Amino acid sequence: MLLPFVTAAQEERPAWSLDIDSVEVVTERHIKDIGVQKSEMDTTVLHQNISLSMADVLTHNSSLFIKSYGRATLSTASFRGTSASHTQVTWNGMNLNSPMLGMTDFSMIPAYFIDRATLYYGTSSVSVSGGGLGGAVALSTGPVSEHGFGLQFVQGVGSFSTFDDYLRFTYSDGRWSVSTRVVYSDSKNNFKYTNYRRKTGLVFDDTGALTGFEYPVERNKCGDFHDLHLLQELYYDAGNGHRFGLAAWYVDSDRGVPMLNVDYRDDADYSNRQRENTFRGVMSWSMIRGSLKLGARAGYIYTYLGYDYSRQIGGGEWAQMTRSRSYVNTVYGAFDAEYYIGRKWLFTAGITAHQNFVVSKDRNIIRQDGNSAIVGYDKARIELSGHVSAKWLPTERLGISVTLRDDFYGTEFTPVIPAAFLDFVASKRGNVVLKASISRNYRYPTLNDLYFLPGGNDTLRVERGFTYDGGVSFRVDGNGRLSFGGEVTAYDSYINDWICWLPTAKGFWSPVNIRKVHSYGVELKADATARFGRDWRLAIKGSYAWTPSINLGDPVNWADESIGKQLVYVPRNSAAVTGRLDWRSWSLAYEWTYYDKRYTTSSNETATRFDELGEYFMSDVWIEKRFAFRWADLSVKGVIRNLFNEEYESVLARPMPRMNFEFFVGIKPKFQSRKK
Amino acid sequence: MRRAFHTLLTVLASAGIWSCMDYGPQPEERFSESGKGVFIVNEGNFNFGNASLSYYDVAGMRVENSVFSRANGISLGDVAQSMTVHDGRGYVAVNNSGVVFVIDLSTFRLVGMLEGLTSPRYVHFASDTKAYVTDLYDTRITIFDPTTMQVTGHVETGRTSTEQMVQYDRYLFVNCWSYDNRILVIDTETDEVCDEITVGIQPTSLVLDRNGKIWTITDGGYEGSPYGYEAPALYRIDAATRKVEREFLFVLGDAPSEIRIDGDGGTLYFINGGVWRMSVDADRLPDEPFIPGSGTIYYGLGVDPETSEVYVADAVDYMQSGVVMRYSPTGELLDSFRVGVTPGDFCFVR
Repeated sequence: MLLPFVTAAQEERPAWSLDIDSVEVVTERHIKDIGVQKSEMDTTVLHQNISLSMADVLTHNSSLFIKSYGRATLSTASFRGTSASHTQVTWNGMNLNSPMLGMTDFSMIPAYFIDRATLYYGTSSVSVSGGGLGGAVALSTGPVSEHGFGLQFVQGVGSFSTFDDYLRFTYSDGRWSVSTRVVYSDSKNNFKYTNYRRKTGLVFDDTGALTGFEYPVERNKCGDFHDLHLLQELYYDAGNGHRFGLAAWYVDSDRGVPMLNVDYRDDADYSNRQRENTFRGVMSWSMIRGSLKLGARAGYIYTYLGYDYSRQIGGGEWAQMTRSRSYVNTVYGAFDAEYYIGRKWLFTAGITAHQNFVVSKDRNIIRQDGNSAIVGYDKARIELSGHVSAKWLPTERLGISVTLRDDFYGTEFTPVIPAAFLDFVASKRGNVVLKASISRNYRYPTLNDLYFLPGGNDTLRVERGFTYDGGVSFRVDGNGRLSFGGEVTAYDSYINDWICWLPTAKGFWSPVNIRKVHSYGVELKADATARFGRDWRLAIKGSYAWTPSINLGDPVNWADESIGKQLVYVPRNSAAVTGRLDWRSWSLAYEWTYYDKRYTTSSNETATRFDELGEYFMSDVWIEKRFAFRWADLSVKGVIRNLFNEEYESVLARPMPRMNFEFFVGIKPKFQSRKK
Repeated sequence: MRRAFHTLLTVLASAGIWSCMDYGPQPEERFSESGKGVFIVNEGNFNFGNASLSYYDVAGMRVENSVFSRANGISLGDVAQSMTVHDGRGYVAVNNSGVVFVIDLSTFRLVGMLEGLTSPRYVHFASDTKAYVTDLYDTRITIFDPTTMQVTGHVETGRTSTEQMVQYDRYLFVNCWSYDNRILVIDTETDEVCDEITVGIQPTSLVLDRNGKIWTITDGGYEGSPYGYEAPALYRIDAATRKVEREFLFVLGDAPSEIRIDGDGGTLYFINGGVWRMSVDADRLPDEPFIPGSGTIYYGLGVDPETSEVYVADAVDYMQSGVVMRYSPTGELLDSFRVGVTPGDFCFVR
């Protein structure tokens, strides 16, 4: 039996390692993670195939609710019955949430560009960011582990004239690490579907009565997309405790916004497009010396977002329904410090700064004097977030942690965000760990909330959250033959002054601090891996979430029936199961996702088909064969999505594709002297 | 917890049998309404495609919701704006679907549709063979023949956001709302804009009274608008001379809208917080509302042209079924009933 030890400053080794009756027990208990509810995804999940966005990965591998309009369309993630704006997202420490909208479109993040994704639930998000009233997603890249030159190319060809290309070049000598990644996705995305929301071929009799019709088989219109992502990384390990990093990510995206299935306009005369150009660059430095670890980062983000919604009205003239342009420049800086005192104490502190400059041009108008003018805003805002924490292991089984964070935006401070964490190893055999945490949290309004024209409300207050959770986890590793683990967490959470956009008497919408929401529930996670003989390996992973998210606000008036009801588009139950079977160089995987019905009205009505979206069951399967030659590794993979050919909408009026396929061929040439 | 456990079992069982999703055609229902009724046009939510049409049987004090989709088995579309009755048929303009549906007023069954539109708002009939459709974004007003449901021409206006229409003699008066301040005058014989009348910022709606006067009510824009921001006003325009005769000013920040008129053209109604009423011969705005506001923003207003009963729509939180309240001409609440999401327009069938 190995005695327990505490993670030291330079190491993040397991806190516990036991060997009892041939069952090796290894916990993942680090002093930095005392009481933290998180789940991590590594490259085996993230780099499954090149067509996946982070939205797809989160759908299949977490209990987050991903509201998606389809591939290459807006996909947002929400934790524990909150909204997408309550999910804070970082990339290499830098905030990815739009300062205008306060949320992240995960369809814009190729999973192949992320080497590590960590989901922080509820209170645990305080260790990453303020404002994560639901949670936080921390995405990061890292140096390559293989020495020497590396090259990988994957070509994907799929249904609906879809082409996905991935190219990566790497070099590492242990001190220097260079990586260049390119993803290009191009698709007509014009899948066929039967439109049950319209009728065509109407035949009327002499009395004018309808006697014949058909539900048209249509193609998804204006859904084409052309996305280019380029990621350049450079890392240097000076060998004396100093490490340097540089990551630069460029995005050039041109996407159609598919027409609603209740749109009667001719797509030949119609344009609904979103164009985005984004550059994100971040430099990092870290230093480890004795018990002290320091880190600093500096970065810059530029985003251009253009949205055009127009219809050709003849003679080359277009009627512009929307023509918006936004330009966001963000300068980022961060500093972190960690200091260990002995093996029982860890103190951390950090500060991040984002200086945002936003120009939003929503509409061109002709003023009363005949001159043109732009409806929009031009604002700059500094956003600071600082935290300190103390983590303590008073006994070998018990861990206690306290974090204080405060955010500053514009000219205002949020109240101090306090968070406390506790964990306890209830049983070393089976690695049974009890965890609990509690926090207050605050999210400040976005720039659109404050300044959008018309409707921006500069009197908005911060949203106020209070949450606590508790859970238990276990993990057993049977000498590599069988390993399994599980976790159950219960949480209770309140958000007051939730910002909602509501119509005004003047006809436009304006945000107000109106809603109170109580969300609570249970999250289950389980996984098991079994090996049979030398060649077989079976891995199963599943998650389930029960997520009541209830509106407890004051009724608007006597007629308001939304109080006590589930929030719109938040499923009460969700689940995902993934199974993977490996035999020698073959792999077969099955992915199943479930969402409960989602209401589309705040009063949870069920009278018509438009009041709720039915239960969602989705099955995807893929099979892969790998070939190892002397000169290269090859892989061939086939994916079937929507295995049971379901017809469905997951968002009202947005049809989704039926069974579809994609085929991938990958090659990794072998250069000399590659070793881990 | 127990329910959660059962649900979990259900989920796992469902995973085993690969449950199918519930999606497909809607069943059709048969309706046969013959009495006096009121259609309520429910906008729904933008991009939700959940607009709907409700029908209220006045005598029976009975409401049928979602009658279009129930009768036809399809969706009404995205953002239904208005409904106009002509020659026994109802014309429903569905804004973000770019279509005008034509329905039978008794069965609610679809009998035709007009496509080729950008963002239709209101329909006005100049004759049995000629009708106009205004548009939120198209600078043209579309002309179509209701007997063939074919587009027969356009009126080039040079302005977007053409809204409601009233006709005086051969001249069609159209208010231009969004970031605008004009009432256009269109000659229905030449289908050209022959005059413009300048009023305050953003005229929302328009009626014609028994004296040949056109009334429009502006919302004054909003604070910070590059187009301007001013006190809203009620304007009286002489239809013959096209001159503004009177301007009744509201307080800066008020948001009056939805001007309506009763059947004999003698009494105006409008929303400004509550519902207000004034004679077309009055010299000043009324001091007290006809129906006080109820803590929410009234969204739609209709006045029965026969009985002068007043229907006012409350959209509640705009994400659930709205409520319609029916008042007698003396302000007594006669009935209230649930309709669809965001009720915005009323259409009366005699």
